[in-house]
Formats: sequence, structure tokens, C-alpha cells
Amino acid sequence: MSPETLDAVLDGVAAVFMVIGGLMSLAAGLGLVRFPDLHTRMHAATKPQVLGLLMLVLSASIMWRSWEWAAVALLAWGLMILTAPVSAHVVGRAGYRTKHLRADLLTHDHLGRTVDRLSEEDSVRREITND
Amino acid sequence: MMLDYAYWITQALLAAGALCAVYRVYRGPSVLDRVISVDVILIIVGSVMLADMAYNGHQDYIMFVVISAVIGFLGAVAIARYVVTGGTAPQDSAKEAEKQAAGIAWEPAPEPEIPASPFAPTEGSGAQTGSDEDESTSWFAALTKSGFRPQSENRTKGDDS
Repeated sequence: MSPETLDAVLDGVAAVFMVIGGLMSLAAGLGLVRFPDLHTRMHAATKPQVLGLLMLVLSASIMWRSWEWAAVALLAWGLMILTAPVSAHVVGRAGYRTKHLRADLLTHDHLGRTVDRLSEEDSVRREITND
Repeated sequence: MMLDYAYWITQALLAAGALCAVYRVYRGPSVLDRVISVDVILIIVGSVMLADMAYNGHQDYIMFVVISAVIGFLGAVAIARYVVTGGTAPQDSAKEAEKQAAGIAWEPAPEPEIPASPFAPTEGSGAQTGSDEDESTSWFAALTKSGFRPQSENRTKGDDS
């Protein structure tokens, strides 16, 4: 394969990855607008963090054609993977404890059953009850 | 050229996603919705920078992406923790909560004053903000109490309020 053809193929792959990354961010925005409560919006909001940023990092790495900067960009994505569950977990827990959820849309509330069983024994559920 | 079309299409899609997130920040009934929307806006800004770097072939903004990946979650964690501890106070009685919300909801606190000063002007309703809050954080407490009506009547077994 000649270098010109290889360049064209790599540019095409990078372009496809770039457009997919943009589509992921658009999907996250539409999910934020359309979904009814906090936890479904959180489900939509994690898409640009994981998939969209991965696609754009791959696109940039292909376009740069440099292993060093590709390593730096993948480091950024790896750090995002490490830190995104922290904020999602804390926001989800806070939303559940302060009842920022549409309980009529839930099919199963496994955590609620566990919290009920624990709160019968002693006052575990201190965020809801007042001591 | 294929990459030019891909670049501009990507920027348009990212702009549309950012506008949707801004709409949710504006409309969002609770502060947690706003927090996750602001988080999405931050990631989209990083994505715009990555697309620009990929198209123009430079690495000028890569440190923004790395650092926002490292410390971007701290704001969400802090506000979420504050929602948990601050949301329990107005559940003592609904009337007290209404009075507090009416008192401190739209009072701007432009600059934070010294919290421990006994000579600080309490400016009316600032003294009603509760036992564990001082006046310098009342604007933030009002922010955490914004808007959302929790549906507390669906599962009443664990709470006695």
C-alpha cells in the first residue's frame, strides 16, 4: 500500500471516529433534554464521557500519527474512565437519598427493599429520617 | 475533502449537544440535574478541543483535556455531598421549610463575608437559614433546595416524617 493511500485511509478512519464522537455528545444532550428524571439523565450523560471522548481521542491520535501524543490522549481518556464513576456514584446516591427520582417509573427498587430491611433493625436511614 | 466535512459536522453535533445541556441547566428542576449537565458541558468543551486538535494537527489543548479528566468530577462530588446533608434540614416541618425557602430563596449574597464575625449584618432573613448554616453559605443552601418536589409518598415504610 502506497503512503498516499495509507494517509487517505487513516484520514477516513479518523473522520468516521470524529463524527461518531459528535453523535455521542448529541445523544447525551438529547437524553438530558428528553429523559424524565435524574437517574435516566445520568444514564444519558455518561455517553460523551466514555464513548464520545474515546472516539475523539482515537481520531486525534490517528490524525497526529504520533505515539507519544497518542499515549497522552489515551491517558486523558483513562483518567476520565477512572473519575467518571466517582461523580456518577455520588450524584446517584444523593439523588436516591433525597428522592430525586420518579418512583412510578421504576420497575424494581432493589436498593429500597434493602434500605427498608436495614431500617427495621436500627436507624440506618438517617438521611431520610430525622434523629 | 472528507475530513473537512467530518470536522464541521462534528462541531455542529457537539454544539447541538452543548445547547441541549445548556437547556437542561436552565430548566433542570433540581441542582443535581444541573450538576450533571454542567459536567456534560465540560466534556463537550474538551471534545471540541480534541476535534480541533485532530483537524489542525496541533497539541495545544491536550493539557486541558487531561486536567479536566482529573479534577472535573470534584464539583459534582462536592455539590452532591452538600445536597445530602443540606436536604435533611427542611424536613423537620413543612411550614418551617416553606418559611425558609421563602426567606432565602432569592436573596443574593454577592460576596462571602467572614463567617465567625458576631458583628456581621444578618440582613433580615439570613438569620433564618437554620442551625448549621451561616449567612455566607445561605445562597448555596438556597441553590440546593431549588425547585424539585421529592415524591415522598410512594414508599413510606422507612421514613417517619
